[in-house]
Amino acid sequence: MSDFKETLKAQIIEQLNLEDLQPSDIQDDAPLFGEDGLGLDSIDALEFIVLLDSNYNIKIADPNQGRDIFYSVNTLADYISKNKQ
Amino acid sequence: MYILQAIASISHQEVFQKELFWSNLHALEAETNIQHPDYKAFIPANALRRLSPILRMGIACAKSCQEAISEPFDSISVGTGLGCLIDTEKFLVTINTTSGDILSPTAFIQSTHNTISGQISLDLKNHAYNMTHTQNTLSFEVALLDGMLCVDEGKKHVLVGAADETVPFLKRLQPDIVSDEYPLTSGATFMVIGSENKSDAVGIVACELSFKQRDLTTWVDAFLAKHQMTAAQIGLVLHYDALELNDFQNKLSYAPLVGYNMSAPAFAAHLAVDWLKDSANQGAVLLINNMDSNKQALTLFQKA
Repeated sequence: MSDFKETLKAQIIEQLNLEDLQPSDIQDDAPLFGEDGLGLDSIDALEFIVLLDSNYNIKIADPNQGRDIFYSVNTLADYISKNKQ
Repeated sequence: MYILQAIASISHQEVFQKELFWSNLHALEAETNIQHPDYKAFIPANALRRLSPILRMGIACAKSCQEAISEPFDSISVGTGLGCLIDTEKFLVTINTTSGDILSPTAFIQSTHNTISGQISLDLKNHAYNMTHTQNTLSFEVALLDGMLCVDEGKKHVLVGAADETVPFLKRLQPDIVSDEYPLTSGATFMVIGSENKSDAVGIVACELSFKQRDLTTWVDAFLAKHQMTAAQIGLVLHYDALELNDFQNKLSYAPLVGYNMSAPAFAAHLAVDWLKDSANQGAVLLINNMDSNKQALTLFQKA
C-alpha cells in the first residue's frame, strides 16, 4: 500500500502540475484541499476525476462524493483500492 | 497624443524591465531561447503551476506595468495572433490519443485566446473593460487602436499589449502558413497609455491599419502629411520585411531582432519607445508592420 501511495502522489504531482513538490512533500493524511493542505481548488477536483478515469478506469458518478474521496492521499488510495477495475 | 506611462517586454532579447537596451540587442540565431524572468516574483506559486508560457509572459508584463504606474488599469486590451498554442495543442492531442470521455479541464479552459487578458484581470482583481483581439499579424495594432479609443473616452490608465507563443508544430506549417524567413519565437509586450503628459515622455501620435495591400510609399506620405510631418522629421523607420522607401535615411528591419511571431510588431513598438528615450536620438519613429503584405499597419511615435 505504501508503494501505491507513492505512485499515487507522483501521479497527483504530474496531473496537477505541482512542479515544486516531491512525493515526499505530501503527507498521507494531510488534507489536499484548502489552506491547511496543498491549497488545491475546484479545477484540481476535476483533474482528480480525470486522473481516476485515465489511470484506474474509475468513474465517479456522483461529484458530491469527491469531497470525501479527495480529502487526503489516504482516502484517495483507499477509494481506488476498493473500486479499481 | 497617447502618452506612454509604462512598458514591458519578454522576448528572446534581454529587455525585461530594462531601459536603453539597444546596444545589447543582437540578431537571433536559428535556435534561440526566450529570456524568461523569475515568474515567482509576479505570480503566486499556486497559480503559476497551471500557466503556460504565454500566460506567464502576459501576466508578468502586465504586473510590471502595474507596479510602474501604481494605479489600477481602467481597461485591458490584448492582441494575440495564434493565442494559447501550448494548451490548445495539449488539449487536441489528448482528444486524439484518448477515448475522450473525460478530458483535463485546465488545457481546455486555457486554450482560448482571451485567457491572456482574463488571467491578467483575475490576477490583478481588475474588473474593468477587458477585450481580446485576434487579427493575425495585426493583432497588436488592433488592440492598440482599441486602447486609444479607451483613452479618447477619458480612461486614464489603459493597458495595451500583445503576446504569442511558438510550438514545434508551427514548423510543419512553414512556409505556406507561417513564414520561415526568421526563427520562430515567442514574446509579449505590454504598455500603459493615457492622455496625461509629463516631462521626458514618449507618445503614440497615431496608428492606421489596412486589411488590403497598399502602396506603402503613397500611404506613408499621406499618413505623415495627415499628422503634419515630413520624411525629414522621421529619425528611424522600423519595418519587418524589406521595403523601398527612399525618402528615409535611417531604416531598420526588426525581424532579425525578434524573429517570427505574430506579436512581433508589439516588440517593435518597445524598440521605438526605447529609441526615443535615448536623448542622443532625434526625430520621430515610424513603425511599419509589413509582416503580411495583405495586412499592414503604420504607427507613429515621438517624444511628447
